[in-house]
Amino acid sequence: MNVFLREIVAYRKSTLIWMASLAGMVALFMIGMYPAFSSDVEASKQMIGGLPEAVRAAFAISLSNFFTIFGFYAYFLSFATVAGAIQAMNIGAGSIAKEFAGKTADFLISKPVTRPKILTAKLAAALVSVVAVSLAFALAGYVAAQIATSSTGETVTTSTFVLLSLTMLLIQLFFMALGALFAVLIPKIKTAVAVSLPTVFTFFIIGMLGEILGNDKVRYMTPFKFFDSMYIINNTAFESRYLVLEAVLVVVFVAATYVLFQRKDIRAAA
Amino acid sequence: MNAIETSKLTKYYGKSRGIVDLDMAVGEGEIYGFIGPNGAGKSTTIRTLLGLIHLTSGSATVFGKDIVTSGPEIRQEVGYLPSEVFYYDDMRAIDLLRYSASFYDRDVKQTEARARELAERFDLDLKRKIDDLSYGNKKKVGIIQGLAHKPKLIMLDEPTGGLDPLIQQEFFHLLREENAEGATVLFSSHILSEVQKLCDRVAIIKDGSIIRVDEIKTLLETATKRFKLDLVSAPDPSMFTLSGVTDLAISNHSVDFLFHGRLNDMTKLLAGLDLVDLQVIEPDLEEIFLHYYQKEE
Repeated sequence: MNVFLREIVAYRKSTLIWMASLAGMVALFMIGMYPAFSSDVEASKQMIGGLPEAVRAAFAISLSNFFTIFGFYAYFLSFATVAGAIQAMNIGAGSIAKEFAGKTADFLISKPVTRPKILTAKLAAALVSVVAVSLAFALAGYVAAQIATSSTGETVTTSTFVLLSLTMLLIQLFFMALGALFAVLIPKIKTAVAVSLPTVFTFFIIGMLGEILGNDKVRYMTPFKFFDSMYIINNTAFESRYLVLEAVLVVVFVAATYVLFQRKDIRAAA
Repeated sequence: MNAIETSKLTKYYGKSRGIVDLDMAVGEGEIYGFIGPNGAGKSTTIRTLLGLIHLTSGSATVFGKDIVTSGPEIRQEVGYLPSEVFYYDDMRAIDLLRYSASFYDRDVKQTEARARELAERFDLDLKRKIDDLSYGNKKKVGIIQGLAHKPKLIMLDEPTGGLDPLIQQEFFHLLREENAEGATVLFSSHILSEVQKLCDRVAIIKDGSIIRVDEIKTLLETATKRFKLDLVSAPDPSMFTLSGVTDLAISNHSVDFLFHGRLNDMTKLLAGLDLVDLQVIEPDLEEIFLHYYQKEE
């Protein structure tokens, strides 16, 4: 419990900043922009329809649902998840890597506590941070959607909204687990950002390329494409095969992290 | 029961040698010195005992408990101070000490009171942030976090770096007090005078193996003596080719050497010299250490 509390305290500021930033952005986007687009759908469609199809595909703009509240939210979500993924990977990798980079692993591991307990406490604290960010984003998004639709008369179905918002948390879990694995796998990570930014953007670009090329198999290669917003909006459900894939990958990453962390030699600081 | 016992303890880092077939027995209540140059395997031994690194083969116990299966139980009774200390820069010294105390099954308030008492003794301001402390003061934090919970075994890996002579002296006093109250001390160092000052027994480690274990007293009483001669005229160096003479230095009318052998042979040699002055000195530990190192080579 002491390690868990220490981690929570250590990450409280950055967690609050991420919560405020993502909540603020979603509120601004939904309240500030949705009414403008939805007030004159035809003109907006013409404007966006003028963009090349490849550009629309790359940026996941679908003319059929872009001007509905869920379509608009899903569109913003496709970019917000990148930010969420970076936050999750930062904390997943950082909470472990900082002990090696700051050479404090000597202090921590020479204490009477097992390595699995240390790792569990760190991952639990990272999970709390990730869930808090996801929750802040979803709650702000929900309130903003209610405000944005107050003039259009659209109904914001809670179940669909919750499922769409859950994609943020699921993507974050993937990157948090991957970050933790990288922290024990890659020696001498100086800062978590040095790992999280290239990793997250690589997966994001793979997803964009898949959209441009129209290759559906790419969906298995990047968590950004595991949860199709159109499918969620139309079925109020996730596609089970991708949900299983996500679960398997997260379990494998976390299990491998435990094994490698247990085996790791903490060499003398020099 | 020994505080520490190792049997053929071996650690390889890939193909690089750490320690090889290391056998060591540290009795309860001893102050046990562990000397050897950098890279000899001192830190590897301590870090293996603490579970920071994993042994390759062999076995070791601390207070009869296996280091592989009983790591956390063992570490409940151990205080550890490494040569280089690194703590969380965002914490104040007192926060770090409270965090450290929270790992032990002791009364937290009692441990904190002890930490405050030690901080006063070492003149450390506990309200300062770790990041703002000098290296010497960080080392003091290290000493306190290692001793505040009253461990039964204190493992010190070249602990005096960064401590000024007065603090070093105070630290040694503290270790003697802890030892008088029953704590066992494993003190690794390459500074032999420190080991000589503090320890009861000493193990000399070379290339990952212990080459000699003896009481400090016995080592110092070894038959090896340092001879310092002042002569009437410059001597002929070929006179000092007697077996057992090492570390020979001739300067003008002075001769200085270590001798390990039959004193009768030496007195015969000295009888042939025109002496102004003769000193036969007990060598210090450093000289003995070098002697064993050279002998092993």
